Order: sequence, then C-alpha cells, then structure tokens
Amino acid sequence: MTAMMEMFSETIAIFNRWNKKLLRQPILIFFTLIQPLVWFLLFTQAFSAIGNIPSFKQLTGTSSYITFFTAAVIIQTIASSALNAGIGIVNDFESGFMDKMRVAPITKSSILFGRLFSGAITTVLQVLIILAIGFALGVSIESGALGILIILILAALFGIAWSGISLFVALTTKNQETTLSVGLLTTFPLLFLSASVMPLGLLPDWVQQVAKVNPFTYIAEAFQSLIIKGFVWEKIEYAIVAIVIVGFMSLGASLLVFRKKIS
Amino acid sequence: MLEKTIQCPTCKFQFPVVGEPGKTIVITCPHCNTKGRFTFSEKPRQQPGPSPQDIVIVDHLRKTYDKDIVAVDDISFRVLKGEIFGFLGPNGAGKSTTIKILTTLLEKTSGTATIEGYDVDAQQSQVRRIIGYSSQDVGVDNDLTARENLLLQCRFHHIPKEKAVVKVEELLRTVKLIEAADRRLKTFSGGMRKRLDLASSLVSDPQVLFLDEPTTGLDPQSRQDIWEYVVQLNRKGVTIFLTTQYMEEADRLSNRLCIIDQGKIVAEGTPADLKARVGADTIIIRFKAGDHTACEQAKRLLSGLPNVEAVGECNQALVAENGLTIRTKNGAAMIATVVRALDQAQISLEQLTLSVPTLDEVFLKLTGKTLNVIERKQAVKPRGRGR
Repeated sequence: MTAMMEMFSETIAIFNRWNKKLLRQPILIFFTLIQPLVWFLLFTQAFSAIGNIPSFKQLTGTSSYITFFTAAVIIQTIASSALNAGIGIVNDFESGFMDKMRVAPITKSSILFGRLFSGAITTVLQVLIILAIGFALGVSIESGALGILIILILAALFGIAWSGISLFVALTTKNQETTLSVGLLTTFPLLFLSASVMPLGLLPDWVQQVAKVNPFTYIAEAFQSLIIKGFVWEKIEYAIVAIVIVGFMSLGASLLVFRKKIS
Repeated sequence: MLEKTIQCPTCKFQFPVVGEPGKTIVITCPHCNTKGRFTFSEKPRQQPGPSPQDIVIVDHLRKTYDKDIVAVDDISFRVLKGEIFGFLGPNGAGKSTTIKILTTLLEKTSGTATIEGYDVDAQQSQVRRIIGYSSQDVGVDNDLTARENLLLQCRFHHIPKEKAVVKVEELLRTVKLIEAADRRLKTFSGGMRKRLDLASSLVSDPQVLFLDEPTTGLDPQSRQDIWEYVVQLNRKGVTIFLTTQYMEEADRLSNRLCIIDQGKIVAEGTPADLKARVGADTIIIRFKAGDHTACEQAKRLLSGLPNVEAVGECNQALVAENGLTIRTKNGAAMIATVVRALDQAQISLEQLTLSVPTLDEVFLKLTGKTLNVIERKQAVKPRGRGR
C-alpha cells in the first residue's frame, strides 16, 4: 500500500470509530437533536416581534424572524458540534487510547482528520434536522434543493474549520473543562456579535464593527441569503473565504501543536 | 575468567574479584573482613559493545523535564532477544518514562536508545512496526466491543481484512474473551480490559512487547492470567520488556532485571544473582519448649557441617522465639543434611524453616528503603463519556 492509501484507510477507520461512539450514546444523540429545537422555540417565541421592525424586512428580505433565525440555529449547532471534537481528543489522551494510536504505525494527521470528518457528518445530519424543524415551523428555503445542498456543504466545511479551534485548545491544555469553557465562551459572544441573530443594519455601531471581522457573520449571511432570497453568489463566496481563513489558521495551529505534543 | 569490581555491603569498600562464569566464590572484604558470596553471571556482560543478541540497546539515556527535574538519569542496559527483561522500581522511579521513550511516545533528552538497530527518535516509524505496547492506562475504547477494538488495531497496522478477522478470533481465544467478544467494554471488569489491551498490543506480531505495569490494580486471579499469557508469548519467541513495582512479578517473570530508583539503575542481573548479593539462605531451627541445651548441642554439631557459613547464638532467654539460625549456601539442599545430623545426635526439634533472600531485601539493601507497594485504586480508570 502506498502511504497515501494507508493514510486514507487509517482516517476511515478512525472516522468509523467516532461514528460508532456517537451512535452508542443515546443521551448525547438526544441532546444534539433537542438542542436546535430548544433554540428555535425559545428565541423565535421570545423575539418574534423583531420581524415587525419596519427596517427588518428591508434589511433581510423577510418579516418572519423564524426564517431569519434559522441560520443562527445552524451556526450554533455547528459550533457546539465542533466543541465535541476537542473533548473527544482530550478523552483519548486521558484514557490512554491516544498513546495506543501513536504507537501504531499511522500518520498522525489521520487521528485528527478521522475525528473532523466524523464531526462533519454529524453536522450535516443536524442541519438536515434543523431544516426539517424549520419547515414544520413554516420556514421555506428559497433556493430549493440545490440551496439546501450548498447549505450542507458550507455547514460541513465550517464545522471542520471551527473544530480546529476546539482541537487547538484541547491539544494545548489536554483538559476537558478548559476545552469546554473556551468553546462556550467563544461561541455565544461571537454569535451575538454577528449578523446571525440580528441583521447588521440593526446592530449598534461598535457591534457592527466587531461583526464585520467575525466569521459567523459571513456564514450567517450566506445561509440567510440562501434561505430568504435564493442564490446571492457574493455571500457564498464571502462564506467560503471566511471558512478558508478560519480553517487554515485553526487546523494549521492544531496540526502544529499535535505534531509537537506527540512526537 | 571474569573480573568484576564489587562493593562490600558493610563498609562500601570497592575491590576487584576474579572468577569463572557461573561460579560462586566466597570472598572476604580486604577492608573490614566481612565475608560474603559472589556469583559470576553465566553470560559475560556485553556492555559496551553491541552484539546481534541485543534487541534493545540503551546507552546513557537521560530524560529531564523543565530542565531540573531528572526523571531518568544516565541509564544503560541491554535487552537480549527472546528474554523477559524486568524493570523493577517504586512509583516515580523512572520506569514509565523509560518505557515511553523506548516506545517512541516521549523524546529523550540525551543518550541513545535503539530497538533492533532503529533509533527510537529518528526512526520512529520503523520502531513502531516492530513493537507492541500496553500502557498502564489500558488504551482501549470503552464504547466499542472487544472485537471492534482489536479490528481497529488491525486497521492501524494495515492488516488486510480477512487476515484481521482470523487474527482477532485467535487473540480473543488466547486471552479468553471469546464469549465476551461482542460486548461493549463498558460492561468489562478491569482484568478483562487489561487482557484485551494485551491482546490489542499483539495484533502486529511484535518482536518486542513493552508492558508498563501490566498487573497494577488487578485482582490476584487476573494477575495470574496476565502472567500466564506473558510466559506463553515469551515461549513463542517474543522479547518482553516489562516494568513493575511488584517484587513477586519481577521475580516470577523476568530472566534478567534492572532495579531502578530515582532515575538510576541500582542493580542489574538475574533474580538469583541479585538475591545472592544480599547473602545466604537462612535455616531457622526451633526447639521444644525453648530447650536451651538442645540448642547449644545443635550449634556445636552444625558448625562443623560443610557448606555452613555461620551459625547464630543460642540466646537463653529468647531461644523459644529466636531458635538457632544457620546461614548456608543452598538452603533447600542443606535442610536434609541438617535434619539427618540432628536426628543422629537425637536432638529433637519443634520447627524448621528456610528463609531465602527476596528481591525486597535486595531493594532494601541497595536503596535503604522498602518497596512497600500501596495498591493504586485509580489504576483502572472510571468510565467516562466518550471513552
């Protein structure tokens, strides 16, 4: 076998391992499914009046806050899935399984990629469920089936890129609590300091400034445009650029730390 | 002829001795006149020149953390092909650090370490293809079944599917987990998990197997099982390097062993060699109702027997408790002679015990401390999410 094929086979093996692990934790599955539902219901019920703000429709293209907020639920779900990647790796360090993998003649990066791809698959399934819940609540996707496909691809890629941050923290600290709190502390402020909960134009000036450098904004706007307006390619391009920048930095840093920590 | 420099256990005076391999000689310390025995090892030591028999060669290995914490302090040893090599020492002696360096998990600070000629730092992938490692932590995935765990390890070693299925079946049988093969590890006992971990370190048919405290925290039955597998494996030709904090384990399993304390090797040899360094076997004879006369008679009689190195005193007040102690070379063989002599002289005795030196005594002598092992309850970690 060539080195490339070996690495592919290792990555698949590790990918399957994580999928099995997730499927065997019914409680975890339950919460990954229930979480978007809670978000949908809580926020859209509490904030439905936002849709009545005169400029809201003008800025977003819809007067339904639920429709607008769907993108935020997707992003929140991606971010919390991404958090699990780091926690899983910390668990492997603690249980001794990581050492077992390191002693085996495998490429180090397959350990991370196997985990990331498994996370991406989970994210895709979660997003499909969110869209289904949204549909039940009256959200329609303007861009249709192709739009849904693009949403799924963007979600998977952004999931992988964002996981890099939790991996980086996990590999640096090897500590579950730290990984968890860093993850939560970055997700929530970033979500509210972006265009995902509120359109940019309705945000205070300073928040707008933050939002403009916040990757969540570009992902959210791509999702929003696909859901509300159809294909606004410019927004999709921005999202891809944001994913590439985040991914390059977070995964690059993670691989670097990983190589250093485990060699 | 071999020449060795030895140290007098009493006055620490060092002097050279000369003898044949495998022979034991009685020596007198030229400084303080203490008498003792010394056995020359069967095989002349290979250090420092490497020989094709050496599979693990460690020279002047050092590992320091944060510049001033020395975990392993300039150790050198050889592991011969096909032997079980023990690394005995208390917690924090540097055992795990050494094993982690040898299994490519940790980079050394200085010195050299090679496995079958491959450098553990520079040629990691070659080393990883010929070693197996079973860590103290038990590196198995609790969410998977026993079979899945082993199949996953096979994938890591790029064993083709059909071969892997057969191999896994065979390994599960060997470690007696075939009935539990398709159960998730969450339901496994610590001993079962350890057995599986051992099996998982064997999927690649390693030439050298590294076992880091293989029985720490296990119940006696599981410990016996693990010992049995280790011996079985070794018979099949697998070289085994194991660390342990249990004297009994080191004594039972290893052909040769190093005693390590505070990052330094304090002794190396076969268990018998090391025990011989502590001194002779002791036969203790107790007489009926603390019969002091019988004791004195026996003392006179036994002093004259060949192979008896020293006979203790009969303390009149304490003769019932202490009895009479005889120090001799081969205690087990001497028992018959002693009993026959006493019987012929019609000296009746109540109890006769043989006490042979243990590695505990060796450790005490070399380090001035006992190796009292406190069972570590956390050795088998509690189950957690995502393991």
